[in-house]
Amino acid sequence: MKNEKDRPELTFADLPPGRTFRPLELAVTPELVQEYMEVVGDHHPLYFDENLARKYSLPAPIAPPGLAAIYARLSYLQDYTMPSGGVLAKQEFEFHAPAHVGEILEVKAQVKESYLDEKGRKRVTFFIEGRNKEGKLVSTVRLSAIWPK
Amino acid sequence: MRDAQYKFKFGRKKGVPFVLKKVKVGDLLPQVGKDIDQERIWRWANLSGDYNRLHIDPEYARQTPFKGTIAHGPMSLAFLNELMMKSFGLGWARGGQLLEVRFVAPTRPGDHIRIEGLVKEIEIKDGQKRVVCEMAIKNQHGEKTVVGQGIAFLPMEEE
Repeated sequence: MKNEKDRPELTFADLPPGRTFRPLELAVTPELVQEYMEVVGDHHPLYFDENLARKYSLPAPIAPPGLAAIYARLSYLQDYTMPSGGVLAKQEFEFHAPAHVGEILEVKAQVKESYLDEKGRKRVTFFIEGRNKEGKLVSTVRLSAIWPK
Repeated sequence: MRDAQYKFKFGRKKGVPFVLKKVKVGDLLPQVGKDIDQERIWRWANLSGDYNRLHIDPEYARQTPFKGTIAHGPMSLAFLNELMMKSFGLGWARGGQLLEVRFVAPTRPGDHIRIEGLVKEIEIKDGQKRVVCEMAIKNQHGEKTVVGQGIAFLPMEEE
């Protein structure tokens, strides 16, 4: 990802319905999962216990499903910065299959809706899909925000 | 940065390590507590790449309608996910749905929040139990900051 200062702001005008973004490649490294566990305080053993993962026929420990809250946003901001003042209005997740530690996910975002509401606020809804390298769907996210400018 | 030390004993039933052994309508999910401070918000900013000044710059944030920094919304989503993982394990990671999540009030440094869930409905569908939970995050004043619905899927043989 480019340095923040080199990236333009992503404005409402850049977000027509149907717009897609360059796919995000996210490596689910043990370090990323460890930092997530520490920041969130979520230490579920399936995120790090290889023996437990094997016991449940998993090829490796799984990524915390909540990681989708991070990569969903990054998927449309790789080449942009977010203008200040935006508000996350609503978000929905569906987890189709666990991602595993060591995998690289490909995350694609598309603008589903962008419109001015009855109060003149700029509303944007993204639809985001995360897939593993085999193309298997891991998660879908629907994210709605009030855009600042 | 510290969290309430709730002790969870993870179950070891076939297929799904999770806390709830038998699920029925009206069950409360095991509560999770978090202390929110600026350090945690900073670390989330580093983890997520979200350096919006409203979250990390107290001087700037004081001049906004929020009158101070607030936690990132997606951090609350991570907390909801934590509760569902603790409660349902792979029954969450395989097919879980977090729906209609709305952010109704900001979470601020100094807040102590509780992440709660209540089993509202259980339906048998395609040989699985579809467990619908009403979810909320509340601050130390009892005010809801986030509301939503979580749906987990448990295999029938877990009963």
